[in-house]
Amino acid sequence: MGILDTIYARAKADPGRVAFPEAENEKMLQAAYETGKEGYIRPILVGDRERILAKAAALGFEPSVFTIVDIAEDAYKRELIARYVALPDTRLKEKALARRMEDPLYYAMVMQKTGEADVTFAGIDNTTGDVLLAGQMIVGLKPGIDTISSIGLCEIPGYAGSEGSLLAVGDSAVCTNPNAKELAGIAISACDTVKGLLGWEPRCAMICYSTLGSGQGELVDKVKEALAIANEKRPDLKIDGEFQLDAAIVPAVAAKKVKRESEVAGKANVLIWPDLNVGNTAVKLIQQFGHADAYGPMLQGFNHIVCDCSRGAPVSEIKGNIVISAVRAAGEKQG
Amino acid sequence: MDRKELEAKIIELVSITYQRDASELTVRTSFQDDLKGASVLMVGLVAEIENELDAMIPLQDAAACATIGELVDKVEEEL
Repeated sequence: MGILDTIYARAKADPGRVAFPEAENEKMLQAAYETGKEGYIRPILVGDRERILAKAAALGFEPSVFTIVDIAEDAYKRELIARYVALPDTRLKEKALARRMEDPLYYAMVMQKTGEADVTFAGIDNTTGDVLLAGQMIVGLKPGIDTISSIGLCEIPGYAGSEGSLLAVGDSAVCTNPNAKELAGIAISACDTVKGLLGWEPRCAMICYSTLGSGQGELVDKVKEALAIANEKRPDLKIDGEFQLDAAIVPAVAAKKVKRESEVAGKANVLIWPDLNVGNTAVKLIQQFGHADAYGPMLQGFNHIVCDCSRGAPVSEIKGNIVISAVRAAGEKQG
Repeated sequence: MDRKELEAKIIELVSITYQRDASELTVRTSFQDDLKGASVLMVGLVAEIENELDAMIPLQDAAACATIGELVDKVEEEL
C-alpha cells in the first residue's frame, strides 16, 4: 500500500469535518461531494443554502452527503460569535466579526475555531492572500510562530527517490523572500508536517546553487545561516545542506559532491527552497515536465489546519488535498 | 473624531499591537524602519482598527503604508 493509500485509509477510518466556503464553485463542490460520498470526510458547505442546493441539484449530487450552513441564518451565527469572542487570544470583537462573517471564508474559519469544523478548505475563488489573512485573523498562529509557510507533496511518476515517487517540497507558495531565521523555521515546520502526516523520518535538504561551499555569495550565506539556526533550534531533526538539488536527491551525485558524512545528502525526502522565485518555479517544473500531482500547498504555522489549494488545480488534485488536510487535522488532534 | 484624535487613537493601537511606548511613536514613524514587526502584527493592527474604529482596511492597503501617518490617511478615507 502506497503512502497516499495509507492517508486515504486513515481518512476513511475517522472522517473529519471539512468546511468549504467556496461551495458554489463547481470544481470545489464536485471535490467536496466525491470525497464525502466516498467516505473520506464529512463535508460542510458554507454559503447561501438555496444557491448551493440549486448547484448541487444541477450537478446531480445527493444533498444528503452534505451539511449546509447558511451564512444568513441569524441564530447560529450569533451563537458562533458568542463562542468565538469568549475564546482567549482572538482578535475581533462582535461587531467586526459579524461583518467579516458575511464572507463565507471567515464564517468557515470561525466554525473551525469554535470546534464546529476540523479544517477550512479554500483557494479556488479566494487568493492565497485572502486565505492567509483570514487564517491569521480568525484561526491565529501557533505559539512562537510568526511566519506562515507551506509545503507541497509531489507524486512524481517514474521518480524513484528515498520515499518512492513522493517528495515533499517547500516553500513554493507563501513566504516570498524568507530571511535566514524564517528559512530555518520553514525547514523545521516542514519536518514536523511530514512526520505528522506521513510518518516519515524527515531528511531535509536546504537547497541552493552551491553544494558545501562550491559557490559563494550572499544567497549561499543565507542558506548556510538558516541551516545553522535550524540545527541549533532542533538538533533532533536531520536537516543538512547547503546542497544543490541533485546532490540532495541522487545518491551517485551526493557521493561525488558531498565529501563528508551526511544523513541527508542523496536521500533527502524534504527539500527546502531558498526563496519563492525558486520554489514556485521548481514546483511548476515538477508538474509540467515530471507530470506530477502536487498536493498542497499545505499551510504551516496556523493553530488549526487551513488549506489553500491552487486555483488551477484539477478535481483529482483538490480531492487529494482535502483528504490530506483532514488527516493532518486528525493527527494534530491526537497530538 | 477630528484628525488629531484619529492620529492619537491609531498611535495608541500601534503601541498596543507592536508593544511600544506610545510616546516613542509619531505620524512619521516608519513601519519598516522603526517598528520592524512581522507581517502578522499588521494583521493584528488591522483587526484592532476594525474593532475600535469600525473601519475595515484591506490588509494589502495597510501593509502598503510606509508610516503611521499614511495609515491614518487610509482610515480617514474609510470613516
